[in-house]
Amino acid sequence: MLEHLNPNPLKPSRVVIIGAGGFVGGTISKKLAAKAVNTLALTRKELDLLTVSAAAKLQEILQPGDSVVMVSAVAPAKTVPDLMLNLKMAEAVCNALATATIAQLVYISSDAVYADDANPVNERSYCAPSTVHGMMHAARELMLRSSTEAPFTALRPTLIYGAADFHNGYGPNRFRRQAAKGEPITLFGEGEEKRDHVAIEDVATLAALVLEHRSVGVLNVATGVSTSFHDIAHMTAALFPNKVVVKSVPRQGARPHLTHRFFDVTDCIKAFPDFHYTPLDKGLLLAKQAEEKRNHG
Amino acid sequence: MAAATFAPARRVRNARGANVSKLVIGFAGMTHLGLNSAVAAAERGFQTICFDPDPSVIAKLNSGSLPIVEPMLPQLIEKNRSRIRFTSVKSDLKRSDVVYIAADVPTDDRGESDLAGIRALIDSVTSQLNDKAILVILCQVPPGFTRSLGLPLERLYYQVETLVFGNAVERALHPERIIVGCAAPRRPLAESYRQFLSAFECPVLPMGFESAELAKIAINCCLVASVSVANTLAELSERIGADWSEVAPALRLDKRIGAYSYLNPGLGLAGGNLERDLATVLRLAQETGSEAGVIEAFVRNSRHRRDWVLRTLHSEVLAAKPHALLGVLGLAYKENTHSVKNSPALALIKHLQNCSLRIFDPAVSSQAAKHPSAKGCDSALEAAKGVDALVIMTPWPAFREIKPVDLAKTMVGRTVIDPYRVIDANAAVSAGLDYFTLGMPGLRAKKKKAASA
Repeated sequence: MLEHLNPNPLKPSRVVIIGAGGFVGGTISKKLAAKAVNTLALTRKELDLLTVSAAAKLQEILQPGDSVVMVSAVAPAKTVPDLMLNLKMAEAVCNALATATIAQLVYISSDAVYADDANPVNERSYCAPSTVHGMMHAARELMLRSSTEAPFTALRPTLIYGAADFHNGYGPNRFRRQAAKGEPITLFGEGEEKRDHVAIEDVATLAALVLEHRSVGVLNVATGVSTSFHDIAHMTAALFPNKVVVKSVPRQGARPHLTHRFFDVTDCIKAFPDFHYTPLDKGLLLAKQAEEKRNHG
Repeated sequence: MAAATFAPARRVRNARGANVSKLVIGFAGMTHLGLNSAVAAAERGFQTICFDPDPSVIAKLNSGSLPIVEPMLPQLIEKNRSRIRFTSVKSDLKRSDVVYIAADVPTDDRGESDLAGIRALIDSVTSQLNDKAILVILCQVPPGFTRSLGLPLERLYYQVETLVFGNAVERALHPERIIVGCAAPRRPLAESYRQFLSAFECPVLPMGFESAELAKIAINCCLVASVSVANTLAELSERIGADWSEVAPALRLDKRIGAYSYLNPGLGLAGGNLERDLATVLRLAQETGSEAGVIEAFVRNSRHRRDWVLRTLHSEVLAAKPHALLGVLGLAYKENTHSVKNSPALALIKHLQNCSLRIFDPAVSSQAAKHPSAKGCDSALEAAKGVDALVIMTPWPAFREIKPVDLAKTMVGRTVIDPYRVIDANAAVSAGLDYFTLGMPGLRAKKKKAASA
């Protein structure tokens, strides 16, 4: 359960976003700018965490009272080298934070930190990652939390979708793009796995709320509604004027052990009672419209 | 720690073979447990000395002002007034043949007991006992507690209490069995104690101290297991279109489960005692390396189900209207009690700070809600007046008289959340209300068709 150090929201003096060039960091940056929050958006161009001088450079950048959002990652981390690169990036941030007096550190983590059989997942579910990606986030959470005395918040989003996501992962983004090209939407098997998908705008909104309230603790970023890939494919197809075929392709390898993941979002309701997630049908439509605008604007 | 020996006796009142009604039974600690147990003893015909070290507690009891709500308790006190002596003078206990330490043991938010008060009470009382008096620990103590007192073992017993809030007098008067912890269970019980227990006309089961202390916890763990099964399958029922209220009666007819098993779904554990016993098991398991994952699961399930109303309110009402006006019926943690310990209603209200509330409970003041925008009401229907949604958080019998059609007339919104099925679901839907309860999918009123042109 999050604890709000600011029971009433207060604008942070400045928010430094590490990894603002990516899908998540960029959207958080835009969200804060829209709320007129003083934001310093650091992309890899301004701060490459894999360089030797990264920690010193970040130390110079940070000012007392800054709120820091750490998003930067090589993701998804699928291999051991990926893991080590991500840890090295986090190490640079940890070294910089060791001497900084910041107001808050927010880490954008992942629901991959939880055990596969956690169901429904809540913030007290066991962290027992089964993937390199999950272990990377779990390790970085621990590294960052133990490197600062500032209030620490870990946001653990589930599967994120949105127009600006350059990853073309299996799910809403790939389905939408397949449909937009007039291609069939392809499902692995029957697409019966139920997962929770969250709109990127909701991730950014919650990040902003956590910053305004100086919230401490862990919060999952998930809607509480899980939908099968089969249903998402058909919901996506229905958004397009032309008939979109949804077809199954055989799964490669064995059927995954984890077939469903649900979230209990009670902690979010308690922490932010006025916040409500974008329903999936509306979110899919907004993502389609945003992508069309990007492609034609 | 209590003194190692009891104080010398001034006199011995009881003699072997004396009429049981001549026995004098003392009760130390006039909280819920002590008061109900003492009244049951008086009703069974015994002279009863009711001691509490706090003179203000005794003054209130003597004036007829009871600190607790229990069915039949005021009437039985009045009926047996000649056999009940309330006193804050501890030396009055010297006349007792059997003295019960019967104060409730408070718990913190994690269910951990604070035993300091009970130890102090035992210290205080033991110095006043006559040299034949029997001391019985009746309160909620962890395994190992009674033996650790270091008192003379031949006059020391532990007795399991199975108090049920809202049904405490009935259970104290008619226990199914009496479980007694002793230093030497194969020896006969002390005669005065045996005579007193025989008045309750039920099996008496002597066993070792630790076994008896664990037996109490075991009873509660079994109750929690039943409730947890009911809660788990009730949630599943809500999602697959089953109705748990149809399933539960079939289980009650199974002899292995039983007619009185706890199969009604609820909003998690409340009241403090069950939570205490689970916390004790978890602590002991950790200290001894026992596997207690199932107990952790009970706790997790309880926490999950407690928030069912909050989740339902958000999905059905607050997502569209975050600052809704809500009616709340019931603050007590269960019916027929004033207790709000771990009350689901208060847990809910804590997270409704952005809403306005209209509250009614027959026994608890609306001030217990500690909500900035709460208005106390004098009746259930008044609390429902003009609200966007109504939640029925305590299944008080009086709430069963509420007519859904009256609710529909007085409410502005259509949502009724009634976890305990206090009102009739079909009548609610017929009255045009959307009805949500534990153990089955929500029922929505049929929308009236627009008048044709």
